Amino acid sequence: MDKTTIICRCEEINCEEIEEAIGHDARTFDDIKRLTRCGMGPCQAKICISLVADVIHEQTGSHLHEIPLPRMRMPISPIKLETLATNSTTFSSVKSVMDEVELEEGKVR
Amino acid sequence: MESSYETVVIGGGVVGNSIAYHLSERYQEGILVLDKKYPMTGTSGSTQAWVWVHNKTPSWYAEFSMYSAELYPYLSKKIGDVEYKRTGGLSPFFAEKDREKAKQLADSYRKIGIKIKVLSREEVLEKEPSINPNVAGATYSSIDGNVNPFRLIDMYMRAAKKNGVQYSTYNKVTSIEKQNGTFMVTSDKKTYVCKNLILAGGTWSRELGNLLGIDIPVNQLRGQIIVTEPLKPFLNYTISGLRQAINGEVLIGYSMEKAGFDRSTTLDVIQETANMAVHYVPSLRKAKIVRAFSGIRAMPEDGFPILGKVPGHENLYVAATHSGVTLSPLIGTLLTELILDGETSVPIDRYSLSRFA
Amino acid sequence: MVMETDVLIIGAGPAGLAAAYETASRGLDVTIVDESISKGGQLCQQTQILRTLPSPFLAMRGYELANTLINQLDEFSVRYLLGHRMIGTYKDGSIGITDETNVFPVNPKKIIVATGAAEKAVPFPKWTLPGVITVGAAQTLVNRDFVTPGKNAVIIGSSDFAMDVAIQLSDVGVNIIGIVESLPKILARDAEKTEHIMQRSIPLYLRSSIKEARGNGEVEEIDIQFPDRIMTEKVDLVCVDGGRTPILDAFYQLGCSFGFQEELGGWLPQYNEFLQTDCKDVFLAGNAAGISSQGALLITGRIPGVRVCEELNIISKQEAEHERASHWKELENLEAKLFPEKWEARLNHIKNYANPLLKDQFIS
Ligand SMILES: Cc1cc2nc3c(=O)[nH]c(=O)nc-3n(C[C@H](O)[C@H](O)[C@H](O)COP(=O)(O)OP(=O)(O)OC[C@H]3O[C@@H](n4cnc5c(N)ncnc54)[C@H](O)[C@@H]3O)c2cc1C
Ligand SMILES: Cc1cc2nc3c(=O)[nH]c(=O)nc-3n(C[C@H](O)[C@H](O)[C@H](O)COP(=O)(O)OP(=O)(O)OC[C@H]3O[C@@H](n4cnc5c(N)ncnc54)[C@H](O)[C@@H]3O)c2cc1C
Ligand code: FES
Repeated sequence: MDKTTIICRCEEINCEEIEEAIGHDARTFDDIKRLTRCGMGPCQAKICISLVADVIHEQTGSHLHEIPLPRMRMPISPIKLETLATNSTTFSSVKSVMDEVELEEGKVR
Repeated sequence: MESSYETVVIGGGVVGNSIAYHLSERYQEGILVLDKKYPMTGTSGSTQAWVWVHNKTPSWYAEFSMYSAELYPYLSKKIGDVEYKRTGGLSPFFAEKDREKAKQLADSYRKIGIKIKVLSREEVLEKEPSINPNVAGATYSSIDGNVNPFRLIDMYMRAAKKNGVQYSTYNKVTSIEKQNGTFMVTSDKKTYVCKNLILAGGTWSRELGNLLGIDIPVNQLRGQIIVTEPLKPFLNYTISGLRQAINGEVLIGYSMEKAGFDRSTTLDVIQETANMAVHYVPSLRKAKIVRAFSGIRAMPEDGFPILGKVPGHENLYVAATHSGVTLSPLIGTLLTELILDGETSVPIDRYSLSRFA
Repeated sequence: MVMETDVLIIGAGPAGLAAAYETASRGLDVTIVDESISKGGQLCQQTQILRTLPSPFLAMRGYELANTLINQLDEFSVRYLLGHRMIGTYKDGSIGITDETNVFPVNPKKIIVATGAAEKAVPFPKWTLPGVITVGAAQTLVNRDFVTPGKNAVIIGSSDFAMDVAIQLSDVGVNIIGIVESLPKILARDAEKTEHIMQRSIPLYLRSSIKEARGNGEVEEIDIQFPDRIMTEKVDLVCVDGGRTPILDAFYQLGCSFGFQEELGGWLPQYNEFLQTDCKDVFLAGNAAGISSQGALLITGRIPGVRVCEELNIISKQEAEHERASHWKELENLEAKLFPEKWEARLNHIKNYANPLLKDQFIS
């Protein structure tokens, strides 16, 4: 593949950058993602997933079935924060840093 | 690749990489980093990556964190741009009753030289106009900031490789034996012999310890983070709970759950995190969330780092902690001193594994 | 505020609708979610005639089939949540659905995921220029949005799908400069399509590929690479067919395991002869279960439908077995004849059910 060919259009990552990551022993889509941001754009890898697999295959000789699927994430497609929010202001597992400051006999521990 | 090394580091997260890099500044040969997957597949790839000092308690632990934060500007000079920004940190509170707590925090920090200001509502809104106007106040410290964890580890690795450190990835350590004063480290690919062995297995530290019959009391604590699409820069500070990255994405979340090694995200926590976001910064309402991720914190049983020599085992070292991003430059520096000089410039006795005995 | 239902179907495409018919017609309470505001999925913009459909359907055009599938559900109680989408799952396993105002949990007894397939991109220098689109996108523009996407087009790929789109573009007056295929032969199985193309004097370029595109702000020119030469053509539209691959996000969040079958589009969820994944109450249908022909896809909606009815005690074991056998027979008829390699791959996939290549994706 031509080195200047864009692989991830959202983050504008080209083939050369992917190959460089593979040169640093990256073997999976997720390895490459963390090194280059490829796949972290608005489409969340929906477009570049198969292109990256092809580059890995080309560079390392791994079969496509040996290149694991990238981690897929929620939300399955982007969603507004206000839609997600239920507007409750009581939190159970989400903490405020202030809550974590522990006082012992009225003094900071 | 050879099989004999001066030092083997197990774990290529931010902690293991920092140790390997700092060691390689002092001696260039015979350092190997092993990872069962690839650096950043562990907790270091799923973190908020605040470099955070303020509201760490007790004050001696805050002091320790401060020393590490102070190393960041210098570290960036040495290994390259890691997108470290000392933005200053803001911890808002919404109930007037928290002001007393905040004042006590500021008092106790003053003694150790960390400046914390307790801000009035007006002061908070002046500094960070996007915060919910219902805020009661905030604590503020100028030393806090954040870093790009991917860049950080990538740069540690590049610098370490330049100094001769070797890496073997997708290579899980499956057994460790001690023979005639050397360690035999057996992994998926091969058996390595080394003089010094450093356990930097993060949340898997207990499992690593088991290979040597040592109890490293580290538990798992899951955290989930949601990430917005890139937004115009509008947040000035690292706010406890959310921060804006250089590319404009806002990372939101401060959750804690016991879920073992399960790294799934759940809508329960995602929605609660969304509630927090709109409560803290109402203008985020219209922002789109593009992804959520979760990471498993390494949580030592008493909540404090486990650092230093493993008692009763010569040349065996351990480094397991939460807040590993904040602490990595200091941990790397101090473990290097400990291994090469036998003593550290900042005392770490308090963090010894022996405290659990 | 949890919504309860017997069967939740994600995706109102042909496969989802076929599954809905199997379950709703037997009296189950069925809820169908689709992010689109209309039913029929990707079939709605397909104007080509589909010849190999399972009984009772006669040959008809794609959108006609969509309407038929929609209409046959009219007499049953089916809850449509259109303009709704699945965004994830809750800790207790219920499904998170949004209507873009709120997110709410749905707690079904059984779930059938029929989220379809995505088109793959084809990379070459400057493929990201405006004017370079997938064949599916071209089809949608022409047949759904009634927009002519360009004047002079080149088609990259010669599958049945690519040929259909070439014909559909040519029908609305787009000048097709050529069909570019890297292999030494045309991929389309339907010889009639190739004939149509020939009749219209559209050139077929075998053993050729696109070398690069050029243009200022949009595509203006492309280089086609032949074994012995390069041909430059002025175009304002490049339609690429990179093949399709199952959409897996919902399965991933539900915790299903995955395997790989090149012929079926690559990675796909593990499933058994009931089209049931290794998450007990999660079934699948359509292109999500492997890329295949329209006729075959309908049957892959019927099979899980039957199993769901059986597991919910709506039909007897004997009846289910009988139904199943006849569906599989028909699937073989439709798939093995036209796409023997897909049929092989499907049987292989089912055989490998207990040996996924990817499982426990959340455990680190
Ligand atoms: C949601 C969340 C938010 C956080 N926010 C912050 C923050 O804002 N600031 C901060 O400072 N910290 C934060 N943390 C904590 C911080 O991310 C961690 O403390 C840090 O990443 C730990 O680094 P580590 O190198 O110890 O662990 P890891 O990155 O997990 O590295 C350990 C490595 O060891 C390897 N390993 C394990 N066992 C073996 C074996 N047998 N053989 C070979 N290799 C093995 C693993 O593959 C892994 O790569 C957060 C954590 C979470 C989950
Ligand atoms: C643009 C396009 C054009 C195509 N044209 C052709 C063609 O000409 N010939 C051909 O043979 N094949 C074509 N296909 C392939 C297509 O997949 C099949 O024709 C057929 O429609 C597959 O049926 P299905 O029921 O499996 O999926 P689909 O028809 O794709 O239906 C899936 C449905 O699921 C919905 N959905 C997906 N995810 C979610 C979610 N998270 N929440 C809610 N709803 C969701 C979608 O909105 C969609 O309506 C095309 C595909 C595309 C994308
Ligand atoms: S193309 Fe790579 S993230 Fe969208």
